[in-house]
Amino acid sequence: MSSAVAQTNTQKTARKTEPLVGMGQTTVVTKPETTRAVLGSCVGLVLYHKRLGIGGLAHVVLPASEGRDGLPGKFADTALPHMLQSLAKLQAHSSGLVAKLTGGANMFGGNGPIQIGDSNAAALRAALNELKIPIVAEHLGGSKGRRVTLDAATGEVEIEIAGEETTTI
Amino acid sequence: MNAPTTNDRTQALLHELFAKATNTASESLHGWTSGQITLTLDEVHELPLEEVSAQFAADEDMLTIIVLTLQGELGGQIILTFDNENGRELAATLLNRTPSEGDEWAPLEISALKETGNILACAYVHSISDLIGQKLVPSPPHFVQDFGASVLQQAVMAQAMVCDRILVGSTSFQRGETELNWRVFFVPDHNLLSEIHTTLEAAT
Repeated sequence: MSSAVAQTNTQKTARKTEPLVGMGQTTVVTKPETTRAVLGSCVGLVLYHKRLGIGGLAHVVLPASEGRDGLPGKFADTALPHMLQSLAKLQAHSSGLVAKLTGGANMFGGNGPIQIGDSNAAALRAALNELKIPIVAEHLGGSKGRRVTLDAATGEVEIEIAGEETTTI
Repeated sequence: MNAPTTNDRTQALLHELFAKATNTASESLHGWTSGQITLTLDEVHELPLEEVSAQFAADEDMLTIIVLTLQGELGGQIILTFDNENGRELAATLLNRTPSEGDEWAPLEISALKETGNILACAYVHSISDLIGQKLVPSPPHFVQDFGASVLQQAVMAQAMVCDRILVGSTSFQRGETELNWRVFFVPDHNLLSEIHTTLEAAT
């Protein structure tokens, strides 16, 4: 990658002020709020209720809890029910939700340990399918990290990747 | 599989171990940079998973990064990070030229940074190997430019599989009295961390 591109992205990716959703965390935001996460092989699960302008973002680390304790957002099989519960408290029930998935990169050129992105995405797709929550957009894979920002006013997810144009899904 | 727990005594021993490894690395780097660069251990952190990104200054910055992976049953990651300017200055120092301003990272510049990562990693690995009496094998260095947080997340993934608290050793670098925007992180995986704990506890 050229340094010119890297510098352009450094400018684009100046620090933002919203709280960062860390590994294993989930958050719910209402319009006009935004929330964001930096994702490597972890997958960002976005749930959005268009009419209410309410959205949620989970930073999913692993596909299955297999009975282990941990942060509710850490595992695909616990993150989804936890987010649904949080959204339901704001009357954003599953029948009005759509989902977006992003992240899941194969970091370090696929040579690093535990390339878990594909498994995370597959687990989330299966769980969403079971609950009949449509996945309206995906931006997954590749070999680079992403900074993703969910805008609760629009449901749009801005995706920034080093050396690439910013994408919105 | 249970994650090893760290009490105060073990934490102190871990700090001692990381300090020794950092000292060895500093001596190697001092030689590699003709006496210009040294490093010191900042902290050995054991922190909640969700704080990994936020705890380090590297969280959301776009960084130039050299990654080495320990291969085999005892694994882990050694990650050397710079901002773009510091990466170019290091390469220029090593190549005895002024920092480049072109669009591309020249293969020679990348090679100089990779070799720096290699030297640091070998110094760390040597100290840890001495302690546990087992051979550790680092991979060839890998050059990436990415968000610091996304790289750290991948590095802690092996520990995240088994626990919600992550052990990370972090250091800072100095050129003379000047603090440099470089960091090196050593993140042992579960097996290596268990082996280190076992050895340290047996020694007490």
